[in-house]
Amino acid sequence: MNNYVKTALAVALSACTFSMAVAQDKVISVGLNGDIRSTDPGVNRDDNTDAVMMHIVEGLVAYREDTSVAPMLASAVAVSPDGLRYTFTLRDGVHFQNGQLLTAKDVQWTWQRYLDPKTQWRCLAEFDGRGAAKIVDVAAPDANTVVFTLDQANGLFLAAMARPDCAGSGILHPDSLAADGSWRAPIGTGPFTLGKWQKGQYVELERFKDYSSRAEATADGYTGNKQAFVDKVRFEVIPDSASAKAALLSGGVDLLPDVTAMDAAQLKQVKNLQVQVSPIMTISGLLFQTRDPLLKDVRIRRAVALSLDYSQMVAALSDGLSMVNNSIIPTASPYYDSTAHQGYTYNLDEARRLLKEAGYRGEKIRMLVNKRYPQMFDMGLLSQAMTQAAGLNIEMETLEWGTQLERYQTGSYQMMSFSYSGRFDAAQSYESVIGDKDKEPRKVWDNPEALAILREAQREVDPAKRRPLFDQLHRLMLKDVPMVVIYNGTAIGAMGKRVEGYRSWPVAKPRLWGVKLADTSK
Amino acid sequence: MFRFISHRLGMAVPTLLLISVIVFALIRLIPGDPALLMLGDMADPQSLADMRSSLGLDHSVVTQYLIWIKSVLSGDLGVSISSRQPVLDLLVERFSVSATVVLVAVLLATLLAVPVGLLAAWKQNSAMDLGLVGTATLLLSVPSFWLGLLLLYVFGIQLGWLPVIGYVGFGSDPMKALTYVVLPIVTLTLVEFGAIARMARASTIEVLRLEYIAHARAKGLSEGAVLWKHALRNAFAPTWTLIGLILGNLLGGIAVLETVFTLPGIGRLMVDAIFSRDYPVLQGCLLLITCIYVLVNLLVDLLYPLFDPRVKL
Repeated sequence: MNNYVKTALAVALSACTFSMAVAQDKVISVGLNGDIRSTDPGVNRDDNTDAVMMHIVEGLVAYREDTSVAPMLASAVAVSPDGLRYTFTLRDGVHFQNGQLLTAKDVQWTWQRYLDPKTQWRCLAEFDGRGAAKIVDVAAPDANTVVFTLDQANGLFLAAMARPDCAGSGILHPDSLAADGSWRAPIGTGPFTLGKWQKGQYVELERFKDYSSRAEATADGYTGNKQAFVDKVRFEVIPDSASAKAALLSGGVDLLPDVTAMDAAQLKQVKNLQVQVSPIMTISGLLFQTRDPLLKDVRIRRAVALSLDYSQMVAALSDGLSMVNNSIIPTASPYYDSTAHQGYTYNLDEARRLLKEAGYRGEKIRMLVNKRYPQMFDMGLLSQAMTQAAGLNIEMETLEWGTQLERYQTGSYQMMSFSYSGRFDAAQSYESVIGDKDKEPRKVWDNPEALAILREAQREVDPAKRRPLFDQLHRLMLKDVPMVVIYNGTAIGAMGKRVEGYRSWPVAKPRLWGVKLADTSK
Repeated sequence: MFRFISHRLGMAVPTLLLISVIVFALIRLIPGDPALLMLGDMADPQSLADMRSSLGLDHSVVTQYLIWIKSVLSGDLGVSISSRQPVLDLLVERFSVSATVVLVAVLLATLLAVPVGLLAAWKQNSAMDLGLVGTATLLLSVPSFWLGLLLLYVFGIQLGWLPVIGYVGFGSDPMKALTYVVLPIVTLTLVEFGAIARMARASTIEVLRLEYIAHARAKGLSEGAVLWKHALRNAFAPTWTLIGLILGNLLGGIAVLETVFTLPGIGRLMVDAIFSRDYPVLQGCLLLITCIYVLVNLLVDLLYPLFDPRVKL
C-alpha cells in the first residue's frame, strides 16, 4: 500500500470519526419541573414520569393529535358487533429494545401483570369492573393476534387503554422484571431507551437504533411515524420556573415544554427563541357544592354563572391564548361541536333578578383557592371581583394544594376554583363530574338523568351515536349549573431556534421523536 | 471532657425521642392525603383505599408511630412514598450535596467576615466602618434567592461563564463539579458574610473597651498585636456561637438556594416531601436536622474553651 493510499484512508477514517462525534453530539436538553417517580410505567408515576415513559413504551393503541384513538403496536383493531371482543392484530417486525421480537404472548404477559392488583397499576380500576367494563380474558390465539374479552360493552375501552397516565398501557418485555418478580427497568418498543437516571438531577434517554416505526409519513400524537432523530434526550430537573427560564436563555436547555402565558409573551421577544402553543384538555372552572344550604338553590348558582364576563376573564387568565368554553368537553376534543360551544351569556341584570328571587341577602359564600397553581388563584380572584357587581358576597380562602385536593375529594366546600386534569374522551370528562355524592363525594353533579345518559355514552362505541348523547348532557348541565366551566388551558412550549419539528399538543406532554437539532455552528 | 460529651449525648436521646413524637404528630396534622396526591383528581374511593392500605396509612396514628420508631431504632428510616427509595439512602445522598455547599460557604464567610468585623470595630465610626457595616447590612438584607438569580443572570446568561442549571458530583469530575457549585457557594457566602461580620464587629467593640486591652496598649504593644493576639480570641467566642447556629440552620437545608440552582440537596428533598406528603422522607429529614443541631451545638461547646479559656467543660 503506498503512502498516498494510506493518507487517503487516514483522512477517510478521521472524517468518519469526526462525523460520528458530530452525530453523538445530537443531545436535546428538556426542562422538567420535577423528577420522575420511578421507571415503572403507569405504576409509581406522576405527570413527569408519564411524559418520560411514553418515549420508552408503546401500547396497542394511542392518541392521535386530535385525541381520537388509533392503532399503535396494532396494525388493526376489530370490535365484535356486541362490543364484547376486541381483536388486535400486531404489526410485523416490531422489536423490543433488547432485540426480541414483539409477540402476542408479550402482550398477554404485560396485561396479566397490569391486571394483577399486586402490580398496583394506576388504571386497574378502568378494567377490573370498578369503572365501566371488566376484562374477563386476554387470549393470544396466534403470535400476531390478541383478543380481549369484556363482560359488557364499553365505548371507553380503547380510550382508557391509550391514557398517558396508564403509560398508554405500554407493552413490556418480561425481562423488565428481575427473576424475583421485582421491577428492574422498562424494556419497551418505543423510539428511546432508558439511559441514566441521576435522581433529583436528570433522566437520559437514548435513541433506539432498531426502532420499528409505523409506515405513516409523520408522527400523529402518540402514534404515527415516531422515528427519533436525536441521539439522546436529557430531561433536566428544574423545579424553579425562573431558573428554568434562565436555563433556556443561556442555552442550558433547548426546550421547556410548559411555560406560563406570561413567560411565553416575554420569551417570544427573544431573538433566538421560538414558542409553540396548543389548547389542552384541562378543564378549569368553579365548582359548587350543590348540597350546601345556600348553593343548593340553582338560581344562586346560575346568578354566579351569569355574572362572569367570560371573554374578559379568559383573555386575562390566558394572556389571550385560550378561548371561552362553558362545556366540560374541551375545545380540542373531536366531540366539541356547535352545541358544546353554547354557553352562559354575561347578564348582570338577570343575575341580580335571580338572586332577588332566591331571597339572597348577601350571605357569605366561601370559595377555596390555592397558590400552587396560579391560574386557579387568579380565576378565583377574578370571579370574586366580577360576581360582586351582581351583589354576591364571595370570600376567598387560600389553601395549600394538598389540602384543597382533600376538600375536593370529600366534597367539604361551598365553592372552589379548580382545574381538572385532562380527560381525552368526552365521556371521561363527564364521568369526572357526574355521580352519586353519597358514594363519591368528589362528584359535583348528582343527577340520575345525567348519569343514565352518561352510562349510555360509555357503552356506545359508534362516535356518531355518542355525539347526540354528549349534546344532551351539555344542555342539561347548563340548566343544572353544578359547576361553571370557564376555559381549557394551553400547553406552551418555548425552545431555541435550533429545535425543529417540536409541537405542543392537547395531551400536553413533550414528544421528542420527530424532533431535529439544526446545526447552528455554520 | 468524656463525661461532658457522654452527658450531652445522653441528653440528646430523650430530646430526639420527644422530637420524633412531635414530628410524627405534626406531620399527620397537616391536611392532605399522600395517597390522594399520588392519584390526583381522578382517584376513585376504592383505588384510594387500596393505595392508603399499601402505604400503611390505614393503621391508627399510634400504630403507625410504633411501627416507624421500631424501624428507626433498628436503623431503618423506611421507604419514600414517592420514589420508593430507602429514606436513609436519600438522606445520605442529598445531605452530602447540601453539606458541601454549606461548609465551604460558611468557612469562606467566616474567613472574610471576621477580619472585616475586626477592622470595622478597630476603625469604629470612621468612613471605613460605615462602608463595611453598610455593605454587611446590605448583604444581610438581600434575599438569598434574589441574589442567586442575579448572579445566575450575570455569570450564567450574560457572561456565560458558569452553567445555569445542573449538578455534578465531586466524585465523578471535580473540576466540572466546581463550576456547578461556585454560584451557590458565592451566594451563601455573601449572605452569611453580613451576619458574621456584624457580630464580629459588635463583639470586638465590646472587647476593645475592656481594661486588659488598655493594659496591652499601655505595655506598648502594636495595634496589630493588640487586635490579633488579645482582642480576636475573646471577641471570636460569641461569633463562634453564631457560626454554630448558622451551620445548624443551613445544614438543615438551603431549600430556596437549592431550588434556584437546581441542586439536589436535603432542603429540596424536604420541600418536595412536604408537597407530596411523603411522610417517611419528611420524618427522616426532620430527625436528621435535629441530630445536626444537637451535634453542631455539641461541637461548638467543645471548641468554645479554645477561644475563651474562662470556659471550662
